[in-house]
Amino acid sequence: MDHAQAQNAFSDFLDGTLPDRERVEVEQHLAVCIQCRTELTAFRRTVGSLGKLKQPAPPTFLPDIKQQIYKRSHGRFFAPRWKLFGRIPFEWISLATIIAMLVYYLAMLHGAPSGVHAAP
Amino acid sequence: MSLAERLLIARLKERDGRAFDEIVQLYGDKVFSLVYRMLGNRHEAEDVAQEVFITVFKTVDGFRGEAKFSTWLLRIAANQSKNRIKYLSRRPTDGGEVEDALQMRAGSGTPAPVIQAQIEGPDVLMEAAELESLMQRSIAALDEEHRLLVILRDVEELSYQEIGEITGLPEGTIKSRLHRARMAIKEELDKHTR
Repeated sequence: MDHAQAQNAFSDFLDGTLPDRERVEVEQHLAVCIQCRTELTAFRRTVGSLGKLKQPAPPTFLPDIKQQIYKRSHGRFFAPRWKLFGRIPFEWISLATIIAMLVYYLAMLHGAPSGVHAAP
Repeated sequence: MSLAERLLIARLKERDGRAFDEIVQLYGDKVFSLVYRMLGNRHEAEDVAQEVFITVFKTVDGFRGEAKFSTWLLRIAANQSKNRIKYLSRRPTDGGEVEDALQMRAGSGTPAPVIQAQIEGPDVLMEAAELESLMQRSIAALDEEHRLLVILRDVEELSYQEIGEITGLPEGTIKSRLHRARMAIKEELDKHTR
């Protein structure tokens, strides 16, 4: 294993995801190569330092978001909603409208004159 | 997705205000941290991170639960960060995009730096802040794709599977790009510490 191959394997080596054969080859190379050992130390330090870069949200984060949502929704976002399927049930409204029209049509049919009869 | 998460999402879809608070408390730090490290600017990060949650709440009814809620949320955060980076790159710059870590701490309102100075001494604090600033500049020098991978894996410590769900990239691609990004940051740090 040469320097480039060893250094290309650093990430997997640190993650512990190298197949056994390759891990052994890297370890054997590191045992005899001070340059790569130095590079690995610097690489490990870099990755370790990255882990310290988490940045918490500011203390006013939640109130600021709520204020934005309230402003943009004109206070409607947290207003009680129709419980049927948790949203405006357009399909039920359509179905009810169709049924109402059908009932009206049937009522009109029964109430209408049966036909025009010729005068005797 | 766990049962607790499903119940929380269901309550959110019912516009339960407490579910809203819980979601922000659970994921606010992770989202803000991702966005801040992507953009390198606190003011922009606050703006974008707020937009992420607003987008989530506007579109939560369309969330079907095929992926974990956290990965869906972070995918939105990643996309909105990239969009903001593109927008900022077209805008004339005043050179203030990447904040100094000291400036960032000054604006955070947290008492920790003062306590740290009392315990560790101001020199140690300054060194830590300078290192953080250097790290942030090194991350900012990466293109957005590599930057995102470093942040997701090394800063936020997500698994490769979660990163794959967020980015849509196969694991092999994630690993090879991540390695290149880590090496680039290492090289940048080496230049400044020699």
